Amino acid sequence: MKLLVCLKQVPAKDAPLKLNSAGSWIVEDVSYEVSEPDAYALEEALRQKEAHGGEVTVITVGPQRAAQVLREALAKGADKAIHVEGDGTQLLDSFATAEAITRAIPGQHFDLILTGLQSDDSGAAQVGVILAELMGIPHATIIMQIEPVPGGVRVKRELEGGAFQYLEMPTPAVLTIQSGINKLRYATLMGIKQAKSKPLSKINAETDGISVELNRLVIERLYVPGAQKKTERITGTAKDAAARIASVLKAQGIGAGE
Amino acid sequence: MEADVVIVGAGPAGLACALRLCQLIDSGQAGALSKDNILVLEKAREVGAHMLSGAVLDPRALAELLPDFAAEAPLQATVGREGVFLLSSHFALPFPFIPPPLKNHGNFVVSLNQLVRWLGEKVEAQGVTVFTSVAGRDLLFDESGRVNGIRTDDKGLDRTGQPKSNFEPGSDIRSKIVILAEGPRGSLTRQLHGKLALQGRNPQVFGLGVKELWQLPDNRFPAGQVFHTMGWPIPPDLYGGGWLYGLPQNRLSLGLVTGLEYTDPSTDPHTLFQAFKTHPMLRRILQGGEMLRYGAKVVPLGGWYAIPPNAGAGWLVIGDSGGYLNPQRLKGIHLAIKSGMLAAETVVQSMNRGDLTQLESFDQRMRESWAGEELRRVRNFHQGFEHGLWPGLAHAGLQTMTGGRGLREFYPATAGHTRMQRLDQLPNRNEALERREVITDRVLTFNKLDDVYYSGTRHEEDQPPHLLVADTDICSGRCVREYGNPCQHFCPAQVYEMAVDEQGIKRLKLNPSNCVHCKTCDIMDPYQIITWVPPEGGGGPSYDGM
Repeated sequence: MKLLVCLKQVPAKDAPLKLNSAGSWIVEDVSYEVSEPDAYALEEALRQKEAHGGEVTVITVGPQRAAQVLREALAKGADKAIHVEGDGTQLLDSFATAEAITRAIPGQHFDLILTGLQSDDSGAAQVGVILAELMGIPHATIIMQIEPVPGGVRVKRELEGGAFQYLEMPTPAVLTIQSGINKLRYATLMGIKQAKSKPLSKINAETDGISVELNRLVIERLYVPGAQKKTERITGTAKDAAARIASVLKAQGIGAGE
Repeated sequence: MEADVVIVGAGPAGLACALRLCQLIDSGQAGALSKDNILVLEKAREVGAHMLSGAVLDPRALAELLPDFAAEAPLQATVGREGVFLLSSHFALPFPFIPPPLKNHGNFVVSLNQLVRWLGEKVEAQGVTVFTSVAGRDLLFDESGRVNGIRTDDKGLDRTGQPKSNFEPGSDIRSKIVILAEGPRGSLTRQLHGKLALQGRNPQVFGLGVKELWQLPDNRFPAGQVFHTMGWPIPPDLYGGGWLYGLPQNRLSLGLVTGLEYTDPSTDPHTLFQAFKTHPMLRRILQGGEMLRYGAKVVPLGGWYAIPPNAGAGWLVIGDSGGYLNPQRLKGIHLAIKSGMLAAETVVQSMNRGDLTQLESFDQRMRESWAGEELRRVRNFHQGFEHGLWPGLAHAGLQTMTGGRGLREFYPATAGHTRMQRLDQLPNRNEALERREVITDRVLTFNKLDDVYYSGTRHEEDQPPHLLVADTDICSGRCVREYGNPCQHFCPAQVYEMAVDEQGIKRLKLNPSNCVHCKTCDIMDPYQIITWVPPEGGGGPSYDGM
């Protein structure tokens, strides 16, 4: 099975984020790491390869620093890496990112393309779905389990309220992977050493026609949400308190209507 | 895995050593040594992430290593206006002139995090593998007791020490030569010192540097402006001082070093630093600014006479691990780089001769280099401050006149933790307690937990504690009575708390995930029962821009 895993480099969890003075983006002076759901997608791909044979390619779209997530993936056992590189590529929206991935792999056949369910930073959950649409292949989201069957795969999807859906689908296909479905491995010393000699191809985003011009989403403004919680201590007799609670709820439009 | 040279720690010393080895290989002087057989281990997730310094860089060693550094290196600013101030709680008295050792003309204000990241890229571009997220856990010895390798950390152990499903045991790297460049109070360096019973003529003494990086609203503190302070809030009987360094884009590096040789067990370097910021001069500078980053790390202050033997058959110790820091200038980056370079040259020479006992010539090379000369000239500097600021300054003046000698050739020092006094021996107990109170407003002053957040510190939560306390009964019993649990005060990251259990007994509660890897606990605990070992590789602070 040939697998492609899409990885995104995002600010490290708990990184102290600051907005730039224009309020259009963060100040990029933080540490970065692979988006956690993508790490689970990679782990799943490596397990599929170990169980059924094949090859794992990883791809990222991002500035120079994003090569870090590819090197880590190679150290963990991916076979090849593709870096669609360019200044400002971190500003691409989901559509432009999916477009960049499509243009980076012309003529290459992958049985499965895995992404994380959504990224840790913008959390749009769109790249995988749009990618499938652009490539004209089926997709399924929130995948918990993958099992090859003749002509395709059988997958387990997570639904709301603890329910699951099992379905069979043909390959090639795009699957977006739920976090926590496996246990992430550590890179071994040997893996880190060998990663240096594995192929990492760089594609210049600009020459591929990839820029923020492709974006369909415009960031109007970024801001830190203000504190919204307001606490009111209601005292007095039960009757008075109940009346006060009822009026508060009514004022907020909660509760019985007509 | 096998190697010719394994370097533990990708800081200025370790990376300079790796780079110098590569240069010697490129120029054909290194015989059979190949870049493929040089390995660098780094416990941080990324090269530079555990680097913390002021920092003003004396470029002497960097210029020797990389003559084109000025065009390439991420230097923040050349040092411009300088000031030295003596602080009282309300006044700042500027020195009429800059004392020569504190003159920084020709030096650069740098972020050590960025400088080291850049050095790391240089080393990797040479083809040397830098293993990030890998800690050196144990030194390996052969049957004859000779160092012959490193065991790396186990990964994937749970908090009780049991393997999880993704358990990855540490690897043994057998290496002809092991170079320890772990920074101050290295954990493997301690193993080495224990096993071979090594120490300098004096014990090493340390200070704890607590630092914040601030964004100022305007260019009120221009890039390259360098201020140093003495006096308040450091008690007069204690060594310490502050710094303010202007960075580009209206950023400011500021911090305070507190000597880890205080008598009052309630001394809290983090709180002293918070108090420092409330001084009218600093308050004015910081007004309207915003804190961006926080960090803390110890500095070895002992100097010349505290440097232990740093070379033996199969091993070398360089940088802060080896004690190479000029205590008068509080500068060690240039000495770390120089020690790394000389280590590389020693390694190549001894490998070419096929005789690893030749490594022992490293100590002599260091002594005879300009780095040794610089250290010798201030050989008695820190000892002069054992009785506080004024005797220290007077003594420093005398040493300057006598080429570092002072009244006699050798001044002894005492290990910092032995100077801590029991509660019942403290004359001004109440005054001491008051010093601990600084109101945190979360604008100018912060508590430890707020600050830890700004250090970007993260660890795998489900792992064995990396602070080994040999006997916690001492914490609940003797230490409560005798010293009032100083661990709660000296730790700048609130790793140590004393919590009262159901029986009303105070018990030690560890929060290892907060640890910023400063090593203070390993140094200052009065019973010497705390051992700091590296947590699972990849954990720790993330000192971006520090």
